[in-house]
Amino acid sequence: MTGLHDVSHRHEEGAATIAKHPVPKGQPILELRGLQKKYGAVEALKPANITFLSGEVHAIVGENGAGKSTLIKLLTGVIRRTAGEVFWCGDAVQLANPNDAISRGINAVHQEVVLCRHLTVAANMFLGDEMNKNGLMRKRAMTDAAQAVLNDLGFNLPAGALLGDLTIGQQQLVATARAAMRGTQFLIFDEPTAYLTRQESAQLFRLIRRLQGEGVTIVYISHRMEEVFELADRVSVLRDGTHIGTRNIGETNDAELIAMMINRTIEQIYHKETLPIGPTIVETRGLSGPGFEDVSLSVRAGEIVGLYGLIGAGRSEFALGLYGRQPVSSGEVFWQGNKVHIRNERVAMDLGIALAPESRRDQGLCLNLPIGLNINLPVFDRLSRGLTINRRSEIENADRQIKDLKIKTPTRRVLASAMSGGNQQKIVIGKWLSHGAKLFIFDEPTVGVDVGTKAEIYRLFARLLEQGAGIILISSYLPEVYELSDRLHVFRQGKLVASHTYRSASHEEVLTQAIGV
Amino acid sequence: MSVETATEAAPVPKKGMNILFGLTLFGLLLFLWLLLGFSTSSFWTPNNISNLLRQGAMTAILAVGQTFVIITAGIDLSVGAVVGFSSVTVAWLLQHGVPLWPAMGITLLVGVLIGTFHAFGIVRMGLPAFIITLATLTSLRGIGLLVTNGSTISISDESFTNFSRADFLGIPSLFWMVIVVAIPAYIFLHLSRWGRYLFAVGSNSEAARLSGVNVNRTIYLAYILSSTCAAFVGLLLASRIGIGNATQAEGWELQAIASSVIGGTSLFGAVGSVHGPLLGAFILATINNGANLLNVNAFVQRIITGVLIIVIVYFDQLRRRGSR
Repeated sequence: MTGLHDVSHRHEEGAATIAKHPVPKGQPILELRGLQKKYGAVEALKPANITFLSGEVHAIVGENGAGKSTLIKLLTGVIRRTAGEVFWCGDAVQLANPNDAISRGINAVHQEVVLCRHLTVAANMFLGDEMNKNGLMRKRAMTDAAQAVLNDLGFNLPAGALLGDLTIGQQQLVATARAAMRGTQFLIFDEPTAYLTRQESAQLFRLIRRLQGEGVTIVYISHRMEEVFELADRVSVLRDGTHIGTRNIGETNDAELIAMMINRTIEQIYHKETLPIGPTIVETRGLSGPGFEDVSLSVRAGEIVGLYGLIGAGRSEFALGLYGRQPVSSGEVFWQGNKVHIRNERVAMDLGIALAPESRRDQGLCLNLPIGLNINLPVFDRLSRGLTINRRSEIENADRQIKDLKIKTPTRRVLASAMSGGNQQKIVIGKWLSHGAKLFIFDEPTVGVDVGTKAEIYRLFARLLEQGAGIILISSYLPEVYELSDRLHVFRQGKLVASHTYRSASHEEVLTQAIGV
Repeated sequence: MSVETATEAAPVPKKGMNILFGLTLFGLLLFLWLLLGFSTSSFWTPNNISNLLRQGAMTAILAVGQTFVIITAGIDLSVGAVVGFSSVTVAWLLQHGVPLWPAMGITLLVGVLIGTFHAFGIVRMGLPAFIITLATLTSLRGIGLLVTNGSTISISDESFTNFSRADFLGIPSLFWMVIVVAIPAYIFLHLSRWGRYLFAVGSNSEAARLSGVNVNRTIYLAYILSSTCAAFVGLLLASRIGIGNATQAEGWELQAIASSVIGGTSLFGAVGSVHGPLLGAFILATINNGANLLNVNAFVQRIITGVLIIVIVYFDQLRRRGSR
């Protein structure tokens, strides 16, 4: 990787250490023996023996809470182990702090980008490792070097742009380039594609293969089975903090891995019942607003209308427009046949529209408040008698949703931030179940959600449909919208470009329409 | 992802946690009182206790109003200036022959208007709360000085000035005013939906908005309550010192913020209570009072107060981290 390692200087000694103990491809580079982590009495990771081979792509799969994050944190020195040993290139190592890990060439790219939004791409790539001359930063040189690396990797990104101006997907690519630039020997990806578009994912996969070709060992954590099968050489399964097993990718299949992950067979993840379609709930005619243009579609009782497209194609913007969050510039909305003007969120809610927004963290939840308060937030006016809230109905409502949705928490008083992605999504959904609605808009409901919870969410869709509701399902995950939608609309650059009925088009056809090639 | 392992280890807030924290502050207050009782002969005299309650009362009311704003992740730097300005307003109105009750009503209304202006600046003009309230802090002092020509307006209405010296059931009337403010404040913050909305807006205003909470209205509410509390304190102060003076209550905004923070309010929003700031205000008042009795240099007092704020809030942080 000529362009990459040239610009790294700090880790040259690190690279030298590695060169002293070259690990031939296919030999163990990192070995965990009885690695264990306890938080108080809770065993987040039970003693695990996993071997990572030099130059392989090693996938790790497991439900939320299976212990994947704990494992990453142990390997990157963020937390210290309770027991067990780690061998790096044959030597026992402590990995006591992040620097210890980084100086040995162990790096991680996290799902949530941990870089500075107000600095340029180049500044981020060189952060903590700046090029200096006489005590002054060589900005120009760093920008050029960063641009060279980005171009070399085939990322079409300007090194001089502010990181905050890029999409989350692009930021992820920057984080990856940063790690790649720093002489990494062992690179961990933690669900990197959760927020990426197809194209960005493809770019990332090319980069991963390229790094692998240069002898870098890759650990790839994902919920998406097809990615695991596309990329990985071997795959390890974790469940409830236990290492269940490791398989060569050629000797296993979807069904086996899922069975290992959830310890039960899901006959069908995508559970779709045929329900009678009822009257039209909502219809938009030529609706336009910021980020979407001339969208006409309708949703009937008992059906799921899928909106597929790349991130930024205008689907979420359309949803926010329909929900009254963004002003609509032209077009009409008909609610159960009557023309309505949805000025704000309240009006939408009062009509009977519910929105589970795209980002749980930014739009969905008050993370540092209790689960109960989050669930009750839309309905406090109903839970109030006069001036004050009726304490008992407040408690009952929260507890009912927690129980119905099987939110894994000891009490409603736990903060939402303490919950896993899947459980957080359930809280968002619980909010709207207690409010009750005729039209549910789910924007990316299964991002960062494990297989078991996904299946639960899909079953919940069916329950809502049975009760006569209609659903708009927005997703960037094609199999999901494809298998669940009664009608599937494809968005591209803010416009609705194609519509299909259930399974009437092939995956390729839908994808082509979304990308527009 | 980083939260997933926390699922099993999810902290279960003990129901008594808030009460316990309140009790600990209360314990600190009692400890200070006992300590001062032993080390000085004059602390436990009726005169001194009354004085202490009077002094603490005004900060306490300011701190409660301030807490509403801080819970929404905002800040109100203007409260000290509003206190001074309100004392001028009521004195000026009385001087110009306005009867007492309307004069007090108009003064409170001025407080409402100031709060409305703050919220307008934040919501409509998109200014940071820090800036808009800093601007009114200096402007209000300026207006007050212009109106009074830089001097003071004395208040001749005896029924008004006697109020602050009066006792009811042996307790200073000023302290009763704390209770008059605290009970509705408690009901508002802890028992009503609007209180929940304050927390929700402070935690994540976008999530609150998408859940149907009228975020703008909630912000208006918080700042109006804060300024109105400050105007109310302005009335109490005018009654106590018998004059209207725009330069009074210098630095009280910091006392109010400190009381609130000592009382467990998080400056990042979404954490706070009514009883916390009350205790915080009386702890600060006790420290000042005790330092006076112990003949501690007034300049040193300021240093002690600063150090204590750091220590108390640091221990609070430790406890929070410990409970995770």
